[in-house]
Amino acid sequence: MATLDELMRLPAAMAAFEFRGSGELLDQRIAYPERINETTLDLLAHMCAANMSIATMQARGWEKVTAMKGFYPIQEFTLVGFDWSVVVSGFRREQLKNEDKTSLPPLMGVVLGNEKADYEAAFAVLEGQEPIP
Amino acid sequence: MSIVTDLLAKPGVVAAGEYAYRGDRFSYRGALTEEHARMASIMCRATTMGVNMEGKMLEVFQPRSGLQPPRGWVVHGADYTVCVMANVFCMLDNARASINDIVGFMRQTMANAPSDLI
Repeated sequence: MATLDELMRLPAAMAAFEFRGSGELLDQRIAYPERINETTLDLLAHMCAANMSIATMQARGWEKVTAMKGFYPIQEFTLVGFDWSVVVSGFRREQLKNEDKTSLPPLMGVVLGNEKADYEAAFAVLEGQEPIP
Repeated sequence: MSIVTDLLAKPGVVAAGEYAYRGDRFSYRGALTEEHARMASIMCRATTMGVNMEGKMLEVFQPRSGLQPPRGWVVHGADYTVCVMANVFCMLDNARASINDIVGFMRQTMANAPSDLI
């Protein structure tokens, strides 16, 4: 599982954070506090939790209606803002649910500057597939 | 060529389309039925309106944080990804598509899209 410090080593990382499924911010690393501070990150975490839930509902409904598979469960939700993007992942939690684990880790997210953002690298790190070089 | 045509020419793009922010029209090309494309456009529009509301809220809370106006969003599933920038959506096959390339192309192409959601 990725750590916040690993996420901060992604290209253009501005902040990394852990949050509950209900949105509360649990821990964070912030590189540019003049742009994103702890209270901003708390609102952002709540937004991300809400968007993950809505996307999960939509993916579930889409698969039922269309019989297309491969959308649910949502692995990552990314909000692309004007200057930066935030990527959040529930991948590890879904893996643990499939293993019948009842104690689940928090959700994790990273804020990346758009110009150098590598979304696929962020997905891979959040999913614990590869370490940061 | 339109952005939808350009997107469909890229590897791994299953379908792409556009929707009106006011919700009364959509168009699409690719491997979806008309009814499924209609549903996809409605879901994409709803999420776009939601993230724009969230961006405005964050802007009031912390002006010039860099989120507002949101450009789009991406939902990444195990096999498929949905990318939306402004009022354009596309569905990607993860095994064949580059999400970085598609997001970069859409961001660049839609850079001057109006953000007033009209």
